[in-house]
Amino acid sequence: MNILLVCAAGMSTSLLVSKMQKAAEAESKTYHIQAVSADQAKKHIEHAEVLLLGPQVRYMLPQMKKLGEERGIPVDVINSVDYGTGNGKNVLHHAESLFAKKG
Amino acid sequence: MSRFNDFLEMKVMPVAGKVAAQRHLVALRDGIILTMPLIIVGSLFLILGNLPIPGYADFMAGIFGESWSTKLQYPVNVTFDVMAIFACFGIAYRLAQAYESDGVDPLSSGAIALSAFLLATPYSPFQVGEATANFVPVSLLGSGGLFVGMLVAMFATEVYRIIVKRNIVIRMPDGVPPAVARSFVALIPGFAVIILVWLIRLLVEATSFGDIHNLIATVIGSPLTLVGSSFIGSFVAELMIVLLWVCGLHGANIVGGIMSPIWLKATAENATAFAAGTDLPHIFTAQFFEVFIHVGGSGSTIGLVLIMIWRAKLKQNKQLGKLATGPAIFNINEPIVFGLPIVLNPIMIIPFITVPLVMVITTYIGMSTGLVAKPAGIVVPWTMPPFISGYLATGGKISGAVIQLINLALAMLIYYPFFRALEKNQLKEEEARQREVAASEDSTGPVSR
Repeated sequence: MNILLVCAAGMSTSLLVSKMQKAAEAESKTYHIQAVSADQAKKHIEHAEVLLLGPQVRYMLPQMKKLGEERGIPVDVINSVDYGTGNGKNVLHHAESLFAKKG
Repeated sequence: MSRFNDFLEMKVMPVAGKVAAQRHLVALRDGIILTMPLIIVGSLFLILGNLPIPGYADFMAGIFGESWSTKLQYPVNVTFDVMAIFACFGIAYRLAQAYESDGVDPLSSGAIALSAFLLATPYSPFQVGEATANFVPVSLLGSGGLFVGMLVAMFATEVYRIIVKRNIVIRMPDGVPPAVARSFVALIPGFAVIILVWLIRLLVEATSFGDIHNLIATVIGSPLTLVGSSFIGSFVAELMIVLLWVCGLHGANIVGGIMSPIWLKATAENATAFAAGTDLPHIFTAQFFEVFIHVGGSGSTIGLVLIMIWRAKLKQNKQLGKLATGPAIFNINEPIVFGLPIVLNPIMIIPFITVPLVMVITTYIGMSTGLVAKPAGIVVPWTMPPFISGYLATGGKISGAVIQLINLALAMLIYYPFFRALEKNQLKEEEARQREVAASEDSTGPVSR
């Protein structure tokens, strides 16, 4: 699965990426997880299967949902406590459940 | 608190969302991002040319010769001094991207806007010996032309869109290579934009304003700069930034989208003055906020992080403090803002709002009295750790790092009592929960599970 994380500059979500990757490895899953800035989201959405937004840019949800709907990609906002505490496992499962619902 | 939450969800979020998604503001922000790497590179040369270290000038003269500072200025001339060109192109390109589905080609749009910008800029003839040559005043391609470049970029792209949308284009028959066809699609919009800007220029030249740059500077530029780079304007902007963060929204990004043209212009004007060795005209530049107010991230949360690793009693807080230290050093505050959380936390939002506002006041007082060096127009990446960033942003003045240290100490002082109160509450809740667990175990008896 290809997971795309989007925040303002792609900086703080990149923190989460490494935590999610660790969580995925622990469950012996190979996912491609990437963090990008909001202005880059359009470019990278082509390769994504799930798009998750950082809570600090959740005002972009309608905009991103539209982008996602055009391509059949589920879009949601990351739970802010999971985001802040860097809970890669929870966010990973969130992405999985979104993907499963869609698939 | 839930009523407050509702208010945020119903009233603040849609407005913030609209502002953040407004395509002209998005284009403005993203277009300016194009200039940033160049400006940072230019800043490096700017600071190298003006380091106030004794013996440094002689050392550099020994390597590069007597005119070393002029030579170090070359890269500044092609980055800082002509940034309006890149901003104009970038903004037109980004805005056109939003209109791509209408058939607007971003690259053509950028080129047309750039041409229109140069058309709006007066050429002046001058004598070189016998011959007469033309020149474009470079000052109008840098900070002086920033607003014109932005407006022309949006104007050109809007004209482009209207024409393409009305289907006034030259269509090529099938079999013509797509790239060739595209160049023709841009022909009529390009023509329309140039004609319109040309007519505007002729009109303005007939008035007492003389040229478009002068007109824009008088009507829009000066009032905006006056408000945006004033103490009150900046105080309100910072208040908006933290209020948005309190709602869990990236305030610096949203407010910056509106204020960045003004603050960037102030930055560039300071850079010009710094290179020339004259008095710096502005205190409130982009770096005033990035370097001195958002020390360790918006709300200066690094102060809170330090308190947490130092004084936290609860294990979870100490752990979060440790987790948030790394990001905080690079001015990233999300772990603490969402992890503690500060967002919608009635206790923690008080210091989170107070700290940056106090820092605006202390930094302003320091800089306006001359105790602290003003930001010299040098742009350091916003992820540059504190103290180094303050030293560099002021053009190598220790006072820049000292005010950061003072601000950090103030932040810790203000955060401390609130963090104590928060932990007290958390401890009480923890005890209550344990009592409840104990009570429920009592009532259900020793049931084995």
